[in-house]
Amino acid sequence: MSRKTKISLTEEELVSALRNKEKIAAEALYDMYSSSLYGVIVRIVIDTAIAEDVLQESFVKIWQSFGSYSAEKGRLFTWMVNIARNLSIDKIRSKDFKNHSKNQELENNVTFIDEQRNTVYKPELLGLRELVAKLKPEQKSILDLVYFKGFTHVEASDELGVPLGTIKTRLRMAIQQLRKSFN
Amino acid sequence: MEDVKAYIESGILELYVLGDISTNEKLEVEAMASQHLAVKAELAEIERSMEMYADVHSIEPAEDLRDRVLKSLATNLSNDTTLREESTVHEAKVVQIVRQKNSDFFKYAFAACLALLVLSVAALFTVYNTLQNTQGQLVAIQQQSMRFSNRVNLLDHQLNLFRDPSVQLVQLGPGPAAPKSGLAVAWSPSKKEVMIDLSRASNMPVNDKEHSYQLWALVGGKPVDLGVFDVRENSTAMIEMKSIAKADAFAVTLEPRGGLPSPTMANLMVVGKTEAE
Repeated sequence: MSRKTKISLTEEELVSALRNKEKIAAEALYDMYSSSLYGVIVRIVIDTAIAEDVLQESFVKIWQSFGSYSAEKGRLFTWMVNIARNLSIDKIRSKDFKNHSKNQELENNVTFIDEQRNTVYKPELLGLRELVAKLKPEQKSILDLVYFKGFTHVEASDELGVPLGTIKTRLRMAIQQLRKSFN
Repeated sequence: MEDVKAYIESGILELYVLGDISTNEKLEVEAMASQHLAVKAELAEIERSMEMYADVHSIEPAEDLRDRVLKSLATNLSNDTTLREESTVHEAKVVQIVRQKNSDFFKYAFAACLALLVLSVAALFTVYNTLQNTQGQLVAIQQQSMRFSNRVNLLDHQLNLFRDPSVQLVQLGPGPAAPKSGLAVAWSPSKKEVMIDLSRASNMPVNDKEHSYQLWALVGGKPVDLGVFDVRENSTAMIEMKSIAKADAFAVTLEPRGGLPSPTMANLMVVGKTEAE
């Protein structure tokens, strides 16, 4: 957080700068999204060094395949976070990672990471953290399994021993709850 | 309209935003979104919520990562498509290998530093203890050597006295107060030195704290004070007294501590005449 000024553009400005592959687009992209993407990546892969590699790969992929992004189909962040999540999931399912993770001890869940790391301080998010904490445990656990642990909803259904329909409902309820909180 | 509502409530839009959906379903959602504003609006809401959720959980990556990432993007800032593909793939590999080495290197370096630190502290502690011991011994030896050199100086002085031809040894025989006592006084008339040799004292009683012995010289029948001294058990010291150039005899009396201006003859311990000059 020591850099005094982070570059920040509107989503439209950023998208058009990205299309032209301008230098400022790369910087703004990193400054605006690195911490939220990193938060997702590190919760999936756990290991910091690997998470940094995945973040780098994600930005390279976002940069290179930006042509395939269409603002019509949704928000920039949704598109980017799915790239980051897919790369993270590929990583933890790779042979390399499985070997590596044998040497990793203890750290294995989302709350652990929340306690361990200093999450970014953003004054406007102070109240939101409390609201997120108010999610019902079964809603939060399903949301985190899919969002932060890289589970598909089918895998989550197996993991939690809950029918697929219930999983979908809970997921929807959780996100509805978030919408209410964030509005 | 009912269909649209059921579609929204099925939860498929959430899965779409989470990317947890098959290609066919994905196309279907996109088609629905383009046809129905409600679906599109719902999708936008879900997306916004998930973006906020990610924002709440954001974690700042390490400082140096920014440069690393920007560098890997900067290699294809240009619009040269063919060049872009190649260089990026190459770059990614290089960075990864360096990274691997780095993390291992620092791990081992840190462990080595830690081990070295522990060793150094232990060594320092040992050396410190040894130093303390040595210093203690050195002080003891210095004190001993000082004592020896003092003693040697004293003995040297005494030896010189005996070698000096001008010195005469005056034997003092028993007086009325001590019938068996004897004492020797070394006297050099030319150098005016008078020494009492306690190693040649015989049967001189040890004096108590209220009394001391006093040496007198008899000059022309008059006593001259030559100072006081104490006799201790097993004492062999040479005691230097006040100087005098002329004496017919020496005498020792027992007097109150500190001595008196004139001798108490009743307490005459030993007395002896000097050799005639």
